[in-house]
Amino acid sequence: MARALCANCKTERAVIKRPKNHAKLCKGCFIQVFEDEVHHTITSSQLFHPGEKIAIGASGGKDSTVLASVLKTLNERHGYGLELVLLSIDEGIKGYRDDSLETVRRNAVQYDMPLKIVGYDELYGWTMDQVVETIGKKGNCTYCGVFRRQALDRGAKMLGIKHVVTGHNADDVAETVLMNLLRGDLARLSRSTSIVTGDSRSEVKRSKPLKYSYEKEIVLYAHHKKLDYFSTECIYSPEAFRGSARALVKQLERVRPTAILDIVRSGEDAARLVPGEEPSSCACLGQKAAAGVVVDDDVGGCGSQSGRTPGGEMAAMDKQLRDNEAHEGLEIDVTKTMAKGAVARGEKRDVPIRTGNASKGAPRQVLGNCKRCGYMSSQEICQACMLLEGLNKNRAKIQI
Amino acid sequence: MTESKSNQAALTRPCVKCRAQEATLDSRSQPVCRDCFVKFISTKFIKQIDILGKKTRPAAGPSSGSSSGGPPTLTRRYLLGLSFGVSSTVLLHVLSENLESQLAKGRTAPFDLIVVHVDASSSLSREGADNSEAAAAAAEAVLNRYRARYPRFTFHNVPLSSSSSSTQSGNDSSEDALSLLSSSTTAPPTAASQSDLRAHRIRRILLASAARHNCQALLLGHSTTALAELTLAEAAKGRGFALPWLVGDGPAPPAPPSSGPQQPQVLVHHPLREALRKELVTYASLITDPSPLTDLISEPMRPGGDGTGSAEGTTTVVSYRDLSIEDVMTRYFAEVEASYPSVVANVARTAGKLVRRGGSGRDEEAAAAAAACELCGMPRDEDGDKRWRGELGIQEEGEQGTEGFAGQLRGRLCYGCERSVGG
Ligand SMILES: [Zn+2]
Ligand SMILES: [Zn+2]
Ligand SMILES: [Zn+2]
Ligand SMILES: [Zn+2]
Repeated sequence: MARALCANCKTERAVIKRPKNHAKLCKGCFIQVFEDEVHHTITSSQLFHPGEKIAIGASGGKDSTVLASVLKTLNERHGYGLELVLLSIDEGIKGYRDDSLETVRRNAVQYDMPLKIVGYDELYGWTMDQVVETIGKKGNCTYCGVFRRQALDRGAKMLGIKHVVTGHNADDVAETVLMNLLRGDLARLSRSTSIVTGDSRSEVKRSKPLKYSYEKEIVLYAHHKKLDYFSTECIYSPEAFRGSARALVKQLERVRPTAILDIVRSGEDAARLVPGEEPSSCACLGQKAAAGVVVDDDVGGCGSQSGRTPGGEMAAMDKQLRDNEAHEGLEIDVTKTMAKGAVARGEKRDVPIRTGNASKGAPRQVLGNCKRCGYMSSQEICQACMLLEGLNKNRAKIQI
Repeated sequence: MTESKSNQAALTRPCVKCRAQEATLDSRSQPVCRDCFVKFISTKFIKQIDILGKKTRPAAGPSSGSSSGGPPTLTRRYLLGLSFGVSSTVLLHVLSENLESQLAKGRTAPFDLIVVHVDASSSLSREGADNSEAAAAAAEAVLNRYRARYPRFTFHNVPLSSSSSSTQSGNDSSEDALSLLSSSTTAPPTAASQSDLRAHRIRRILLASAARHNCQALLLGHSTTALAELTLAEAAKGRGFALPWLVGDGPAPPAPPSSGPQQPQVLVHHPLREALRKELVTYASLITDPSPLTDLISEPMRPGGDGTGSAEGTTTVVSYRDLSIEDVMTRYFAEVEASYPSVVANVARTAGKLVRRGGSGRDEEAAAAAAACELCGMPRDEDGDKRWRGELGIQEEGEQGTEGFAGQLRGRLCYGCERSVGG
């Protein structure tokens, strides 16, 4: 049983069948092709400019470790002229980050990159342990989630860096696309597919150079390059919609491996069909629409939804939608009996769905900046600053 | 107040709607009686058919877009795609009820209905040619039972292998992508690709039939659940750009130039879009006069693959290789529907809000027609294609399949069809 030869060099034995296009490649060619494709993404989307300082959001996990390795390689090979820095976040949960931060420290040596570990205490004046002490175990996930969302941006700002790259891969993006379709969230659908997020209003730009890379290939790359990463998966279950979308993506991939990229493509195309969005497919124009808070971090750590029962999110939304329907029905009956004609019959339909934390329904959010910290926010004071205000009041009380 | 109380007292579980009868069913987590449930479904249907009726008002002015050829239609004329599944059979039934009730009131018939079954039992490639006669006879036998039950309507059986478009005019464009595909010796290799191409082919045959029969609208039986499945399935197959055309109600995309002379515009509507699949199943089981409606229903082998909304999930998984994307979605939404029906309804509603765009021109019919995919007939996303190739360096990948069918059609198919044709 002779193994097939590599489709690329036609000399070595093929050891990999790429999920992306079924091509059979040898180890060397696979590594080369993987890197070439990331390079292609970087150049065609014009992600970087020479001399730019880039913070790599590093968790010690496979995605961010591969990202750091590939960026180092490409930066040297193609002379990007980038100054690469590893940026890690320490939530300040005793013992929780030890192993992953140890991995990141080793990566810093292996890749010869400066490493900055920023703690929640530096960023917010509170470690998660202190938050838990103050407000108790219940509800602290809200804090962790909100804080984590901003941590990389705030950390980069502290370092004077304006561009953070994260290890989001094609599977993550596909999952987000299906999740937003499932949740009927067009605003987020239009943002989530963009390779760059953040615009002139945000001080820190974010991008995902591995957006078109399959998770499976990232694992293969890490394996064949013998990269040092921390392989424990996040212990917290994702919120219901994401978890459901993730399971669905996995099934689709089994039926048709190209489905992951096909979903990414659908997401990009559908994003341009969201009412009010520009029809242009140009990446640079897309950035405006893409402004927004990036929630789907791969930085690991405390999932903001961990306190919930599985399915809670979906159940809550289902109930809310049903209430809306009932309300709508009532409205029509009332207007009928009052013989007032079609007052507000149509408008009621688009009422944004509010379901506790899951309130992502508003079709068009007006984004501005937090008056206190300057972070992008649809409110005057951003969520993190609101939470901090509450915490600080508590601290004051305790100290008195 | 006291009166209604005493009424209820006689019932162990009164229907929340009429309060007069015993509730025997659960509808959206409320106990209802049989009559109220049947009314609930038909109310949802009537709301939608009224919307369509307003759009197709005969001779209502310049907007009635059917003036290009032939005599002006005096009655509304609709074409129903019938898969023999639950949803399309229920749609047929409620259309018939609607018509009969109008006639009983001494009014004129609100519409003419032509019912078309596309016989998908013959396969895309010609391997199944021997069986196709037997299959056609079997389909004809089923159709006869429908004919007997609904004598006011006209029924046709169209084989899947028929050319979707130009046959009638005699304008044979030999370059037609569909004929290229059917003459191609390399049938799509996977179940997923076959199912995808089959579903889109059925849709195009139905649209072409509607145009040929001078119908103003094509009616499809999709339930809310089927539309949600369609949304995520088409997204998973790379047809995100076509979602609003596939999931919403409105004009069909303008046909590609290769499909022969310009045909009058046909609307595509889903009058059961507000009912869940399980509700249609319940409804079908409640219709027993003159004989059980379920006697007519025979689900196609492949759930979801017939493009007209269908089938309860078949049970055991053979192998992922034998599943289609549609199968995966059917299973998935059967679960979601059971626990979170309103989430399912919201998916279809939201996808319908996406803006319809065609080609690189904005809403311009000509541009859209020029950029229509020659297989599925959906608008191609030329901007997206350009960018995607740039982003991914997809050229190399394409080169593998440039010989033969895929090569001949390069640049004429949408992203989704290219995927299915290529594997
Ligand atoms: Zn090789
Ligand atoms: Zn703030
Ligand atoms: Zn009742
Ligand atoms: Zn197509």
